[in-house]
Amino acid sequence: MIKPEEIKMSTDESGKWGMVIDQDICTGCQACVAACAMENNISFVGEADSGYGRSMHWIRIERFWEGEYPEVKMTPNQPMMCQQCGSATCEPVCPAFATIHSQAEQLNLQVYNRCIGTRYCANNCPYQVRSFNWRDYERPEPLPNQFNPDVTVRRRGVMEKCTFCIQRIHKAQDKAKSEGREVLDGEFTTACAQACPASAITFGRVDDPESLVSQLAHRGHGVKHLEELGTLPNVTYFKGG
Amino acid sequence: MAGYNNNAVHKKVESAHPKAESHHHDEEHFREKHLMLDPLPRGQMNDMVMESMTTTSWKFWAVFGLLSVIVAVCLFYVWGYMISEGLGVTGKNRPSYWGLFLVNTVFWIGISHAGTFISAILRVFKAEFRRPFTRAAELMTTFGLVQAGFSVFMHLGRVWLFYWLLPYPNQRMLWPNLHSPLSWDLLAITTYLLSSTMYLFLPLIPDLAMARDKSTGWRKTFYKTLALGFRGTEGEWTHLRNAMNIFAFAIIPVMFSVHTIVSWDFAAATRPGWNSTIFGPYFVVGALHSGMGAVVMVLAVVRGTMKNMKYFIRPEHFDAIGKLMLIISMAWAYFFFNDYMVQWYGGDKWTKQLLHFHEAGPMGWMWFAMLIANIAIPWAVLWNPKWRSTPWIVFVVGLIINFGMYLERYIIVPVSLSINRMPFTWRLYYPRVEVLLGIGTLAFFIWLYMAASRLIPLIPVWEVEEGQMAHELKKFGRETVVSVSELE
Amino acid sequence: MSDKLSRRDFLKLAGVGAASTAVLTGCGPASRSVKREPYMQMPEYTYNGLSTYYATTCRECAAGCGLVVRTSQGRAIKTEGNANNPLNLGKTCARGQATLHGLYNPDRVTDPIKRTRGNASGDIVTWENATQIVADALKNNKPEEIAFLMGMAPDHLFDLVADLANSTGINAPVRFGALNMFESRATLSKAAENLFGEAGLPFFDVGGAQVVFSFGANFLETWLSPVSYTRGFAGLREGQTKKRGTFVQFESRMSSTAGKADEWMPLRPGTEALVALAIGRLASELRGGSMPRAFADVDPLEAASKSGIKLETLEHLAEMFANSTGALAIPGGTALGQSNGLAVAEAVLALNAIADNFGKPGGVFFSALAPNQTEYQRSASVKEMQEFVQQMADGKFKVLFVHGLNPIFELPASLDFKNALKNVEQVISFATFPDETALESDYVFPDHHGLESWGYQRVATGSAQPVLSGAQPVVSPFYNTRATADVLIAAAQLASGKFAEALPFQDEVEFLQSKISPLMSEADGFFSAADIDTFAAYFQQYGGWWKLSDGRAVPNSADVLNRSLSSAEAEFAGEGEFFFVPFVSPTLAEAGANKPWLQELPDPTTTVMWNTWVEINPVTAEELGLKDDDVVTITSEAGVLEVPVYRYPAIRPDTIAIPFGQGHTAYGRYATALDENGKIIKRGVNPTDLLGQHFNEAGDLAFAGMKVNIKKTGKKQLLSRLESIMGVYGVGLGEEK
Repeated sequence: MIKPEEIKMSTDESGKWGMVIDQDICTGCQACVAACAMENNISFVGEADSGYGRSMHWIRIERFWEGEYPEVKMTPNQPMMCQQCGSATCEPVCPAFATIHSQAEQLNLQVYNRCIGTRYCANNCPYQVRSFNWRDYERPEPLPNQFNPDVTVRRRGVMEKCTFCIQRIHKAQDKAKSEGREVLDGEFTTACAQACPASAITFGRVDDPESLVSQLAHRGHGVKHLEELGTLPNVTYFKGG
Repeated sequence: MAGYNNNAVHKKVESAHPKAESHHHDEEHFREKHLMLDPLPRGQMNDMVMESMTTTSWKFWAVFGLLSVIVAVCLFYVWGYMISEGLGVTGKNRPSYWGLFLVNTVFWIGISHAGTFISAILRVFKAEFRRPFTRAAELMTTFGLVQAGFSVFMHLGRVWLFYWLLPYPNQRMLWPNLHSPLSWDLLAITTYLLSSTMYLFLPLIPDLAMARDKSTGWRKTFYKTLALGFRGTEGEWTHLRNAMNIFAFAIIPVMFSVHTIVSWDFAAATRPGWNSTIFGPYFVVGALHSGMGAVVMVLAVVRGTMKNMKYFIRPEHFDAIGKLMLIISMAWAYFFFNDYMVQWYGGDKWTKQLLHFHEAGPMGWMWFAMLIANIAIPWAVLWNPKWRSTPWIVFVVGLIINFGMYLERYIIVPVSLSINRMPFTWRLYYPRVEVLLGIGTLAFFIWLYMAASRLIPLIPVWEVEEGQMAHELKKFGRETVVSVSELE
Repeated sequence: MSDKLSRRDFLKLAGVGAASTAVLTGCGPASRSVKREPYMQMPEYTYNGLSTYYATTCRECAAGCGLVVRTSQGRAIKTEGNANNPLNLGKTCARGQATLHGLYNPDRVTDPIKRTRGNASGDIVTWENATQIVADALKNNKPEEIAFLMGMAPDHLFDLVADLANSTGINAPVRFGALNMFESRATLSKAAENLFGEAGLPFFDVGGAQVVFSFGANFLETWLSPVSYTRGFAGLREGQTKKRGTFVQFESRMSSTAGKADEWMPLRPGTEALVALAIGRLASELRGGSMPRAFADVDPLEAASKSGIKLETLEHLAEMFANSTGALAIPGGTALGQSNGLAVAEAVLALNAIADNFGKPGGVFFSALAPNQTEYQRSASVKEMQEFVQQMADGKFKVLFVHGLNPIFELPASLDFKNALKNVEQVISFATFPDETALESDYVFPDHHGLESWGYQRVATGSAQPVLSGAQPVVSPFYNTRATADVLIAAAQLASGKFAEALPFQDEVEFLQSKISPLMSEADGFFSAADIDTFAAYFQQYGGWWKLSDGRAVPNSADVLNRSLSSAEAEFAGEGEFFFVPFVSPTLAEAGANKPWLQELPDPTTTVMWNTWVEINPVTAEELGLKDDDVVTITSEAGVLEVPVYRYPAIRPDTIAIPFGQGHTAYGRYATALDENGKIIKRGVNPTDLLGQHFNEAGDLAFAGMKVNIKKTGKKQLLSRLESIMGVYGVGLGEEK
């Protein structure tokens, strides 16, 4: 049982799991979005609601335009998902402790069955990466056969967001533990990173200087979004070029 | 006693005194103007109040019935529909996760502020003009908070689990998160609701006792129960006065804190436009602004529709509240400017974008309408003593201020939410069933008020009598002056 | 790990890791009679809470990427790329991910049915009856009256039908798919034949190049083998171990491929050949020496004025191309789908001769031929389909079998397949989904979904190694469907005689084994085995068979520059004012519209979901008085469409573009929409409705060779966008121009 004094808010630790995203090679193909939806039992919302800003994507690919025709350029595709902040602004504002910091994994957890739907976390997320279940979106039979049994299905009135595929993290850790070893770098990865045909997404331990993700993250010109807010995000972007 | 109006009073006053003397003319002028100097026999005033409660025309029932239907449909049926369908039937989206419900919450909490302001602060400062309408204002506090509570619960995605917000002991040792401004909010609003209800009840006791003595049938039982056996002994009065004094002082910080905490829901967030240190006092003043507007509207309606009320609620009261409204409007303008100025000067690009969006975006008309309604119109109208003593004019100004303050909250909540640090997600908010639910809360507020006007004396007769006992006219040379003696 | 670890090394490592952690099972579904069991009696290879992984092949497009499907309690949970498969190395595209929404689609054809054509409902027949009907159709008609129309994938079923056709005299099966039309494969192959003396599908090693010039090839979207080419693109951009490569795209509308380009050249449609040759001439001048004949006749100044690209820009591009150590030019997509498509393909391929990159890393190859791949398996061009439809209309065919494609939707409406179908006495569809063609058939004998099926698929291009991707059922069939191969084998047995002799197999699996058994003796295989059972088990376990050696052929480039090449501009059909560019939706493509999550994926360039739009340059839109979401009528010589406007900043003002993928009138609830009365209506529109019958010299449709007119209708239709129109375009922020 968790003692109340053990429940802490975000800390200033350096993080554990992290991602590096190379925008220079991201083609915007949406494979990560589809992979995420399939892995995490994400609802589709239909034409009307998706056009009204209610789509449930946990990861979205942003693109902007620079200049005007004919000198117009598409800005590098920017996949946005929960940045798993070390000091997350979503966490302290939830009155029900539904979004809390995992001390073990240094991730922002979303406890679906504790969420009562105040949506404060989503307002307070500077990255706007949280999705709310505005309705019980219909998934007619037999579509639910596809559900991933490792991921809770959410109902109306509940907030959800990218978890860094925590079910995969746990699975890998359990396996490593049963084999009496540490989890290897590259042994598993998130659904988005696994699907990405360009390998623009790299996932791994950022607290391990030897890991690929650490090495990529410290390559130089990486950017962490809205770092100036003190959120300590764990996703590093490379605009490239 | 039969129908009563101001003219009748004046006739009686005239017949009671020798006429056609300048002294008498002065005195008559004072009496006509000031309730405190225009005493009637206590029994007569009690009868007038009782009569105002029990005389009910068919128009009342027509309006009451209509409101009942609106409450049943707009509030309860639509809410049930929304609960079963999910919040998708509202107009909220990403990024406007909050919408009209929180606008309504802030609005109703704002309305509730005037009650405490009038009955507690004015009582503490011994502002005599407050006497006839403290009760009407306190009722607004309680009923406004009820609507605020409704609005907050409507807002929840899973309202059936609202009790998870409460710190109740449970096996899993789960506790609400006291880091969250929403938890503070819940505590503050609950405290405010409880204390303001008690503070409504305490001064009601002597009037309930009076009503008990003057009624029969179910009303007798009703008042007897509520009056708690009050007989008016010296000891009882002392206790009551002490209790009221303590509450009057204690509830003032509660009132300030509750709207400050409501403002922290926004100010504590890391959003451009919200993260402002001045939101606390700005919200408190804003609450008073809309609350005073609501009080004058209620008073104008009570005076215009209920029997005998023209005696108790006079132009002098509208004049006094009008002055307060003018001052509060100025204070609000000061805070608005202060907030705007600092945010704009700060130069944060997202904040500047947001301020620009407020003025020039698709909701820009709201921003200008807000300034006109909250500043320009009150300033233009309320300067004029004649205008601010005219009930219908003050009523209209109060209505406009409330409209303006509603827009202010609308701009702060959904309009500001449309703009954030992720331009890819910017989106407008278009309310859907929230509008019906908002109408439902308004109808329920009026419904409660109408029901209360049939059940409890809207005029605190004992307070009026107390004031009248303390006031008298004295003549110094050619000047007639009002003298008020200390009672306590 | 060492500091020198590169992304490529990591990929290899990750591949090994995935292969060793996800235990690929070869034995589970090998039992031939897979059937659904209640959980009380779970198959012995299924354990509560434990996932089983099966390797198979993605059937969403013809590329043939390998998949590993995670299953749990007999249900398919998640598809991942097969890290062993040399084509996709563990990666998938969005459509591969969403294939599960096809498997568990609520609108599948659940039973064999007989219907009155056009009638949505039908009577269920038994599979015995169905087999008898197929047998009768084979036996009771003359061989030349029987036709097979099949999907684009060169798979086992095609081989089976080809065997049947070859030994019984039935018409050779015809393969087609809308992607085939938009990729202009025939043009590429013909151009190769003209230049290198040998037909074949070229392979472009994008990953090894330093400068890539792509003329209309949307290789990051749907072109040929998108997953493999995307990996190549990542290699091009890799900047740690080498210099980051540069990418220039020439096309009139910025596709999502062009969106990734360092420079986008919005040339005037039809001038691609001219521009390519002009660059060739300028580059040759920079290189010195004698001017090759191929580029001798072109005038760069003329090219500049006609294409709208400045001469300085052409010179700068030529310099970039000439001075690079690894220049590569790719022709494809819309550039080939024009009347001069063949000339464009030749001109662009010839550019590679300057870089002399044939057969070198970062250069042009012939795609590695998959095992047993021959010219016979080439898919039909639209020209050939036109002839096929004409034969149908002329009543030449008594029976038509349709499998794996939806010609009513995928062929241009002007071919009028639907009407021609009326002259075919008996139409038997093997469709898994109730598509438009199944609706117009007499019988629908549903095939399993790809994830319930056995099979193999040749990888036509994209991999350096020859690859035969293998498929196996990862779950038991969900409905009362039957493998078309089994139906045909059983029907052939029933029909007896030459039919039974043509397909002397017990079932599909035996047929498959007979086809892969010759591979056992092939050298250099990824695995080999002495007996067919072991070999087949490995084949299932690893998801196919491939060689370890590079199978790409080097084109004979000796004569390329000595030919005279045409720089003629394309001719455009129709009287319209605007060039019309139909392009394949990268997320939906030809068959994705019935998968709800694919519908909900935002388009990579416009972020529109669930509908069709027309892209119009904002300047043009302003001239025409059009705002976003205004519905316009688009008229070509062949048809009329109504479609809402998307003001697209990266398209030529004289060009408009519409994505292909929507516009279904059948194909399930997600592919269609409902009107206010609950009646099924089209979701979006199909741009092929506007295409007339104009072909290039190679027989591919000149789909990008139309001119169209636009008219405002005054109606509005709100497009669902993921992006914020305020945040991205500043619309409604008070800053609108």
